[in-house]
Amino acid sequence: MKKSFVFQITAVLLVSGLFLGMVFAAHAYDETQARIVEVLCLSCIKLEPKTIREFTFKTENNAPHPYFVTENLIKGPVFLDYSEDVCAGCEVMYPIIKQLFNIEFGKQDMFSATVTFNHVNITFISINLDHTTDVLENSFPLYDKDEIGGLPMFTIVTLGYDHGTVRPYYTTLYGTLNVPTDADRTAILQEVLKESIEMYQQNKAGYHPD
Amino acid sequence: MKFQLKRLYFQIILFFTANLGAVGLKTGFCYPFLYCQACPAATSACPIRALEDSVYKQSFEWRFLVYPLLIIGFFGITTGRAICGWACPIGLLQRGTSRVARKVKKHPIAQKLGKYRGEKYLRYTKYIMLIGFVFLTSLLIGFIFTDICPVGMLVGTFPILILNPGKFVPNYFFPVALVIFILFIVLIFSIERGWCRYFCPVGALLGPFNKVSMLHMEVNTEGCLHCNVCSYICPMGIDVPNMHRDPECILCGKCVTTCPEKLIRYARA
Repeated sequence: MKKSFVFQITAVLLVSGLFLGMVFAAHAYDETQARIVEVLCLSCIKLEPKTIREFTFKTENNAPHPYFVTENLIKGPVFLDYSEDVCAGCEVMYPIIKQLFNIEFGKQDMFSATVTFNHVNITFISINLDHTTDVLENSFPLYDKDEIGGLPMFTIVTLGYDHGTVRPYYTTLYGTLNVPTDADRTAILQEVLKESIEMYQQNKAGYHPD
Repeated sequence: MKFQLKRLYFQIILFFTANLGAVGLKTGFCYPFLYCQACPAATSACPIRALEDSVYKQSFEWRFLVYPLLIIGFFGITTGRAICGWACPIGLLQRGTSRVARKVKKHPIAQKLGKYRGEKYLRYTKYIMLIGFVFLTSLLIGFIFTDICPVGMLVGTFPILILNPGKFVPNYFFPVALVIFILFIVLIFSIERGWCRYFCPVGALLGPFNKVSMLHMEVNTEGCLHCNVCSYICPMGIDVPNMHRDPECILCGKCVTTCPEKLIRYARA
C-alpha cells in the first residue's frame, strides 16, 4: 500500500474523529447553530433594523410575558438589554447603556439591577445570549417585535391600558438605533424611557400580575 | 448523460441543499464553501464567519476555529478543491457568467493581460485575504471581511431587503460593500471564475489540500499533442499539461472531457 494512501486514510479518520468529538463533547454543533446560524448577523447583511418606537401589547404568538418581567413590573418599567459576545453593535451600545443607568457590569455577566431614572425605579436586566439561562434566552423571540432576530436588541416593558385591563406594554429597539452619534442614541433611549415611565405612572394602580 | 451536465445537476442539487433553511432546516454545520448564513434560506453557517468569531478582538473561541477547519479539512483531504467546482453556489453563479467571461477573454486587451507574468502571483491575493481580512482584522479591529463580503451582499442583504421592505436601513459599511459588490459582478463577468482565482478565502483554505487529497487530476504527458485545448478550456486558467496537484484546480473535469487523446483523468490516492 502506498505511503500517501495510508497518510490520507489516517488523516480522514483523524479529522472525522475530531469532528465527532467537537460535535458531541465540545457542543460545537449546538454553539454554531445557536450563535451563528439562528441569530441574524447584521454585519453580514450590512444593514441596520429600522427602529420603530411604537409600543405594543402583542408578543410572539401572543405568548404570556415571562414571570421575571411581570413580577418586576410591580416596581416599575423593565429594561431588557439583549446582546452576545461577538457583536459589533453591542459594543457600540454597551458604554451608552452603562452611562445611561450609571451602572457597571461586564459584557458577559448575567446582570440585573434596580436603577433609578427620573426618580422612578427601573429593573435593568442584561441578557447576553451566549451566557444566560433558558428562561431569559427564551424571552428574546418573544420581544422581537419586528421579527428581526438580530442583536443588539433593547426592550422596554411598561404598562398600558387595553380594553378595560392594565397589561404589560412594550417596545423594542434594535441595533445602534439608526443614528450616527452616541449622544443621539442616548437621547432616543431617554425619550423612550420617559414615555414608558409616563405610561407606567398612569396605569400602575390597575396592574395586578397573574 | 454528458459529464458536465451531470456536474451542473449536482451543483443545482447542492444549491438547494445549501438553502434548506427556506423550509425551516437550520443546522449547526458550517458550509465547506463560501455562503452566508444571513441568507434567509441558509441551512448552515459560513466557515469564514466562524473563523472570524474565533479570534474576534483577541477573544479566543477555539471551537469556532477548529470546527470549520475540520469540516473543510475533511472535504479537502478526500476531494481537494472539488467543492469549488461541484458544490459551491458561488461557483455555480460563476458557471453562469462564464460564457460572457469567455467572450471577454478573446478581447486583445484581455489576452494581453492573460499573458501578464504577474498573473500567477495575483492568485496569492486570496491567501492574503484569508490571513489579513479574516484573521488579522478580526483579531485586532473587528469584522472587516464580513462587513464588505460581496457574497453576503448577494445572498443576504438583497434577499432580506426584498423580503422585508422598509424594515432595514443601510449601515455604515453599506456603501463600501456595494462598491465591492459591483466590482465582484464586473470581475465574474470579465474573468472566468475570477472570484475563485483571486479572492475566495475558502478557496485559499481548500487549495493546499489539492497537494495531498485522495481525489486529484492526473495528466499522462506521454502522447500529449500539446494542442493546449485543456488549458484553454480550464475555467481556472491552469497550464493543465504541466500541473501536478495544482492548488488552483477545482476538479471540474472540463479538461478530462476535452482532451482529444483522453490523457487526463480523475485519479485516487
